[in-house]
Amino acid sequence: MSGMHLSFYSAFTLSSLGLAFHRTHLISALLCLESMMLSMYIALSAWPVENQVASLTLTPILMLTFSACEASTGLAMLVASTRTHGSDHLHNLNLLQC
Amino acid sequence: MTYFVLFLGLCFVFGGLAVASNPSPYYGVVGLVIASVVGCGWLLSLGVSFVSLVLFMVYLGGMLVVFVYSVSLAADPFPEAWMDWRVVGYGVGFVLVVVVGVVVGGFVEYWKLGVITVDGGGMSSVRLDFSGVAMFYSRGAGMFLAAGWGLLLTLFVVLELVRGLSRGAIRAV
Repeated sequence: MSGMHLSFYSAFTLSSLGLAFHRTHLISALLCLESMMLSMYIALSAWPVENQVASLTLTPILMLTFSACEASTGLAMLVASTRTHGSDHLHNLNLLQC
Repeated sequence: MTYFVLFLGLCFVFGGLAVASNPSPYYGVVGLVIASVVGCGWLLSLGVSFVSLVLFMVYLGGMLVVFVYSVSLAADPFPEAWMDWRVVGYGVGFVLVVVVGVVVGGFVEYWKLGVITVDGGGMSSVRLDFSGVAMFYSRGAGMFLAAGWGLLLTLFVVLELVRGLSRGAIRAV
């Protein structure tokens, strides 16, 4: 693994750890998800540069499109949760109590 | 020039660390903005300027703006700061995970650095990524239409999720 690959690989790992250990707010988890999408975008954009193939440039653009869809859906759920419970704290989402 | 690109790569990791160990969503958004600006600079120094500008405008100027005012809707009025002991503990733990992963995985090949750039790829006046994305309209037309259809459906999904008028009381937020 070269130095640049280590950089976005570790950024992806850190963001996924942040998603796993989210603490209080739902929006912190959504921000970690966005950071994972960002590191994947940069990794997919570095691929056509390394292989000098032009058509691989389609992949990051397509990924960004679906990432925008996912981010807007997550934010809509955040707004719905804030309207229902008054805040987006994760301990409000307790229907499946164990 | 190579060292500048390495510095951008390091700042990208620190931005990811700031998002993961955020004390409050305000600081998480700051980390995400820093990471995306540094990522744009990194892609620019690699030569692919089109995907870098797409990242800047769509991600930073579109999606992150929406995140910023959603954070102002949903976050605490009195946030924690960076020097709280819990936040520092999370940050140190994450850095430790990455360092242990690098050491266990073998430190052999990380010194291999190199920065390359792109050329026209056969076309004389545009660079590689311009001509690559232009293939969306010729060879990738099916995927283009599928992505557009997905975006249209997402619009209706979001409208249904935040509808508060006929499915309950009109809420103040």
